[in-house]
Amino acid sequence: MFSKILIANRGEIAVRILRACRTLGVEAVVAYSEADRESLAVQQADEAICIGPADAKRSYLSAPAVISAAIVSGCDAIHPGYGFLSEDEGFAEVVRAHGLTFIGPPPQVLERFASKEATRRLLGAQGLATIPGSNGMLRDDLHGLEEAERIGYPVLIKPSAGGGGKGMRMVRTPRELEAALKICRSEARAAFGDDSLYLEKWLEDNRHVEVQVAVDRFGHGVHLGERDCSVQRRHQKFLEEAPTPALGDAARGELADRAIRAIVAAGYENVGTLEFLVDPAGKAYFIEINCRIQVEHPITEMLTGIDLVVTQIRIAAGEPLGFSQADVTLRGHALEFRINAEDTQHDFRPSSGVVERYLAPGGPGVRVDSHLFTGYEVPPFYDSLLGKLIVWGPDRPTAIARSLVALDELVIDGLVTNLAIHQALLRNETFLAGKMTTNLVDRVGAAAFLAAAAR
Amino acid sequence: MPDRDEAARLVDHAQIEGLADELLPALIAKLGATGLGELELREGDWRVRLRRSADGAGAAAKGALGRSTRSGPGHLDHAHPAAPEAPRDAYRSAATSPAVGVYHPRPEIASGSRVRAGDRIGSVDVLGIPQEVVAPVNGIVGAGLVENGDAVEYGQELVWIELISTPAERGGRDA
Repeated sequence: MFSKILIANRGEIAVRILRACRTLGVEAVVAYSEADRESLAVQQADEAICIGPADAKRSYLSAPAVISAAIVSGCDAIHPGYGFLSEDEGFAEVVRAHGLTFIGPPPQVLERFASKEATRRLLGAQGLATIPGSNGMLRDDLHGLEEAERIGYPVLIKPSAGGGGKGMRMVRTPRELEAALKICRSEARAAFGDDSLYLEKWLEDNRHVEVQVAVDRFGHGVHLGERDCSVQRRHQKFLEEAPTPALGDAARGELADRAIRAIVAAGYENVGTLEFLVDPAGKAYFIEINCRIQVEHPITEMLTGIDLVVTQIRIAAGEPLGFSQADVTLRGHALEFRINAEDTQHDFRPSSGVVERYLAPGGPGVRVDSHLFTGYEVPPFYDSLLGKLIVWGPDRPTAIARSLVALDELVIDGLVTNLAIHQALLRNETFLAGKMTTNLVDRVGAAAFLAAAAR
Repeated sequence: MPDRDEAARLVDHAQIEGLADELLPALIAKLGATGLGELELREGDWRVRLRRSADGAGAAAKGALGRSTRSGPGHLDHAHPAAPEAPRDAYRSAATSPAVGVYHPRPEIASGSRVRAGDRIGSVDVLGIPQEVVAPVNGIVGAGLVENGDAVEYGQELVWIELISTPAERGGRDA
């Protein structure tokens, strides 16, 4: 096991990783930017080190700053969290070159799965159905038009790097494609420093279902069930649940089994998530893999009782998984609500400011992963996630009933939040029937959801 | 120089922070917009002067906080009667670390050396690549706050630079 871990992230995930380190009895150093000097993670840390100014490019995204901080503070491993440097194979390689361990897949594994398009082919060869898409990266606009014609409209433009909906656009005509390619290219370049794009067939009314896997260095892997992330706004997930209401028990088990077999065969290592789109007939198409701990990992922890961040750290330290598929049991139902500083009344505009009062909910099955406290000033420089409310129940209706109570108890004064959209969803018939599709909030409009709930 | 009490220092720190937070951003924007080389503004007992950096990077001007109506070392008996007790810190400014790494002062820059704002007085090694530590103001290198070879974080104060110009000198030049 490591002796000291540098946490190179911020917000709720920095707090979450700190908890995992303490559970393991490993010292942790929180690396922070000047804007996060007063953050909860810094206050709670055994040790904290300022790595740069508020601008993430010079702090959380700066490989030299992060690695230098790890070296001077005597760490032997770096946990990158999610976002920032978490899936940067170049960073992982430099970390290793400095004699440190990157907590995540080893660099050569990250490299193998770095290109979404190549990963699709790799796992396609391992028996996973993949969505029809462009043959490799788009060389230019003309190549894009030819490929879109071959695949058939509508198509989804996707960047090879990154995630979070940036650089993604669905287009229905060649004219739309030409215009969107330029936008996506510049968005992808700005967000990930890589503007290579590819196309995927757009499935109408699809569900987003993802399988959590954990594979150790010795090729021993398990799946930890799936999560449904179909509730999205502009390709951004904001409410997740498990198990998915989209598939029956047999189909869910089969999907997870196929996913873990393929990913072990493809040589993956550490925790990861295979994302699938499920069409209305229940057929699952592999779309991409996330080689990091994900925002929505807690719902899997609620169902399995397994600490995924601890598992991730142990695997990175070279330890065997220590449990088999038969040891993984999925119990009950869990929901996760991403609480964002966003104004639902004004097109989900991000907000910042001082938390005047913060009260976290409680009760059976209720968990809050958040970095908020009364008096905390939310800096305007980073994403708008304030925390996650995770609610477990023995079944879906109980989990939903508990969620309504918990959302009602949660108090965040001083900031505008997206609580209203969660409360609206929990009263929405389509959601209650378990029939949300990834396009529904955008198609109907968030305002319509809010208005319907208000009646 | 006499020791000052905690309360007086806190008042001064609050004033400096007020200037830095409210005044400096506006001044920097103004400097950038006008294309002037230097801007100076007085507020209460404090004076803020911004100078465009030598490379002409406009708004990236170096700010120097100085106390305009206070006496310098050796002039303590001439303290302005209406002003609160001057902080020692008003006469000095710390050079800070540009990065997280290992600090090395320049051997030829010893305590007592005269430096100009922007002079390289040391470096912070980031994975073997030195990042320059520069003097924030004209002055004399004072006490070091960290040792050669110490690990330092971004923004950490490394060494004091004692301000040279006395109010009398400034008064003469500014008049």
